[in-house]
Amino acid sequence: MLAYVLRRLLLMVPTFIGILIINFVVLRMQGPTLKDEISQGSSQGGEGQKIERGIASLESFIARFERSGANLPSLVNTRGFADKADAVRWLRAGERRAGMTRKEEAKRARSELDLWFLGRWYAEPLQAVLADNALAGLHGPASVAFSYAAYIPVQAEDYPPSLSAEQKAEQTPDELAEREERMRRLGGIVVRNAELRDLRVSYHNGEAGFVTDDPELAAKRAKLLAWYERHREDFAHSGARAWRDLVVATGFVKIMGGLFTGDLVSQSRNQNVYELIADRWQISFWLNFLSILSAYAIAIPLGIRSARRQGSLEDRVTTNALFLAWSLPSFFVGTLFLYHFCTPHGGRDPWFPNRAMPADADTLWMSTPRYLLTLGWHWCLPLIVLCYGSFTVLSRYMRGNLLEQLDADYVRTARAKGVGADAVVYRHALPNSLITMITLSAGLLAELFGGSVIVENIFSVPGLGTLLLDAAKQNDAPLVMASTVISVSLLLVGILVADLLYGVVDPRIRNRHA
Amino acid sequence: MPDTAMTLQSPLRLALRRVWRQGGARFGAAVLAIMLFAAVYAPFLAGDVALVWRDADGWRLPILSDLFNKSSYGKHHDLLFNLAALLLPVLLFTGWLLRRRWTLARRILLGCLVVAVGWGLCQLPLLPSAKGWSAIWSLRGPATETVAVATEARAADRAVIAVFPPVPHRFDRPYAGAVLRAPLERNPVTGARLWLGSDANGKDVLAYLLFGARISLTIGLVATGIAMVIGTILGAISGYFGGKTDLLIQRVVEIMMCFPTLILVLSIVAILGRDIFVIMLVLGLTGWAGTARLVRGEFLAQSVRDYVLAAESLGLPRWRIMFRHILPNALTPLLISATFGIAGSVLTESGLAFIGLGDINAASWGVLLDQGRSFIRYPWIIYAPGIAVFLLVSSLNLVGSALSDALNPKGAR
Repeated sequence: MLAYVLRRLLLMVPTFIGILIINFVVLRMQGPTLKDEISQGSSQGGEGQKIERGIASLESFIARFERSGANLPSLVNTRGFADKADAVRWLRAGERRAGMTRKEEAKRARSELDLWFLGRWYAEPLQAVLADNALAGLHGPASVAFSYAAYIPVQAEDYPPSLSAEQKAEQTPDELAEREERMRRLGGIVVRNAELRDLRVSYHNGEAGFVTDDPELAAKRAKLLAWYERHREDFAHSGARAWRDLVVATGFVKIMGGLFTGDLVSQSRNQNVYELIADRWQISFWLNFLSILSAYAIAIPLGIRSARRQGSLEDRVTTNALFLAWSLPSFFVGTLFLYHFCTPHGGRDPWFPNRAMPADADTLWMSTPRYLLTLGWHWCLPLIVLCYGSFTVLSRYMRGNLLEQLDADYVRTARAKGVGADAVVYRHALPNSLITMITLSAGLLAELFGGSVIVENIFSVPGLGTLLLDAAKQNDAPLVMASTVISVSLLLVGILVADLLYGVVDPRIRNRHA
Repeated sequence: MPDTAMTLQSPLRLALRRVWRQGGARFGAAVLAIMLFAAVYAPFLAGDVALVWRDADGWRLPILSDLFNKSSYGKHHDLLFNLAALLLPVLLFTGWLLRRRWTLARRILLGCLVVAVGWGLCQLPLLPSAKGWSAIWSLRGPATETVAVATEARAADRAVIAVFPPVPHRFDRPYAGAVLRAPLERNPVTGARLWLGSDANGKDVLAYLLFGARISLTIGLVATGIAMVIGTILGAISGYFGGKTDLLIQRVVEIMMCFPTLILVLSIVAILGRDIFVIMLVLGLTGWAGTARLVRGEFLAQSVRDYVLAAESLGLPRWRIMFRHILPNALTPLLISATFGIAGSVLTESGLAFIGLGDINAASWGVLLDQGRSFIRYPWIIYAPGIAVFLLVSSLNLVGSALSDALNPKGAR
């Protein structure tokens, strides 16, 4: 048994990683929307001013990208192996030429944007370009790209919290010294970034390609090369480091690392992803829990009833009605509810509210029973829409299983012994037919903790479904990945637990695995 | 003792006969047939191009040439349906003539092939035109025999006889003067009745629904078709070869089963654009996991049978054993799952459109329903597309469950 569980758990690993990788690559292919923002913001105005204007914002973009790894390649980072020729190729790809088609221009614009996000690996190759007198035409863009490649983002959160005089008095000397040291280091980085900012050479990227016409070119270039000499050890390449970075310094590893350390910030909401999910999961969980509970509580007795009255009018009516309910799309039913029950008609107030959560201001001073009643009133319609669809599957399954059991020999034996009709069904056949219901519980765990996008969307439930939909629409990779990790692991665990439960209740299966 | 007529028929045919005996299946099939008819003949039912037209130049049937007009019908599946509309009587008659020679499946396949070849021919540059060779599909400009032209001509006292479709409104034309009209009101622009009202853009809901049937049927068939092909191939390989291959393919299947489809659809739609064909493709590419499992199970059960052993000892190539010998024996569960698959992909597409991920340029029912929710006070925009989706899905489900009852000996009760 243990070997079986271990085997299953091991087989889950490739599935899990596979899903995460595919999900991430698909998200990445969509392209970070932040880059779109930049290109939209900077598309107006001439080329020279654009860079000047964009400096502050580009640096803040790099800082934002840094936190979720959006500036890194998705899965494989070969930038560690870059040399001068690669740097020249990048620069040339961003160069404008006369007579470019619209498509070529779009591609060029993308390459030029990527140029600013190459990261520290390109500092050395770009410096090599700057040092080469034969490539004088590229010195302008190379200096700008270099300044971004060597830029180290500093965020407000990096600074230690400011202290009042009393607080300062309470700190031990060691703590104060550490604080001093940290401030000094941050100050050094800020100065370093400012130096880099001053060394940018302005240039034009027009029909004629890159034209560097900064009068201070020679002076700035000399300073830049001197600056590089001073900080050379920061950008030193070594083969081993490049090989390590090949896999480690990628967006995927960055996001996964953040997920497991709990330190991952959503791109679109600028808040920790786990905090966002923690804020939202309760309402989704309770809605799902209640809907699953009521679905089982209603569907199983229905199934038993129609199995016991097989072929009767009642059986046929329930079966057909449930069948029609199964084909009714939930978005249609939800919208109908919204129209008939949540919209005022002819001066009459609507029967139900159209939002699934009462406003905080209304419920703040309510007593607990009253609050629960209000909540129930708000949740009534979403619950119906959530659970009516699963009635059919559950009760049909129940009915079929029970009928199968009622046909079995042991039931005939029990009947022949004179066991009462109810006892035959509830004591003999029902427990056996419930066994197979366990297979339906595989997805239950994931269903409990996942949001139903459509229903939450209709009734404006502030749950996980709407959160995920928004995150996916805004291409918020950290948030989407976090919710994928949660839902997929719950699903996989649910499948395993269902299989094991199956073994627990059915000795034949247990023996097969043992 | 069964009579001789029964013993001569194949098991599939017997099962189909059993299906036909069920009232639900007959009802479902009838609804499906009506929907298919409405989808195929949508241009004859709703559109502003005249069916019959007479002016100084003589009599004409402008609708027939308009069927091949890209500027009237932008999407590719429209051409397919238009061709089907023209060829359907011929195909039905030929099929009836050949009823003793060929099986039903063969005749249906041949009919589909004829329409597909016709579709290809319309796309190829075969006709000489002013701009060199061009395809018949992209040759024509906007139609000239329309409702607007007829009204103008009558106003100018020119003698024009024109017979228009029963709903003289194009499905994609917003009439600015007829926004959110209730059912049975008249369109002030054309004077014709809006049987099911108009939507927030001033489009005729009935015309929209008719062309939406085309979209929904295409989505169901294409998405399920893709899913079936991928699922069958992978499931067959997995079940027939077993061992490491099986383990590997099962991992892929598991990935596909657990994968959050919503995110995939969102991302791919963002990359490739909001096109209805992209959505079909994504639904097909994500929906094959169930089929693969089903086919694998069938292949596992079949591959130990004697006839497979016989075929193997004859030295037949493996693909031939898999797809010519085993697959026909696994077809019945596939047929059932395909029926439910079509219903499922129709539902998924409408659901996606409903949460704002649909192709707003296509006449998708879900897009209309989404609008119905935004304009919540106009119930006809909710009921019309909702009932359309419900009818299609429920009739498919009826047929599917009748099939599974008839083909599945265990579920015969």
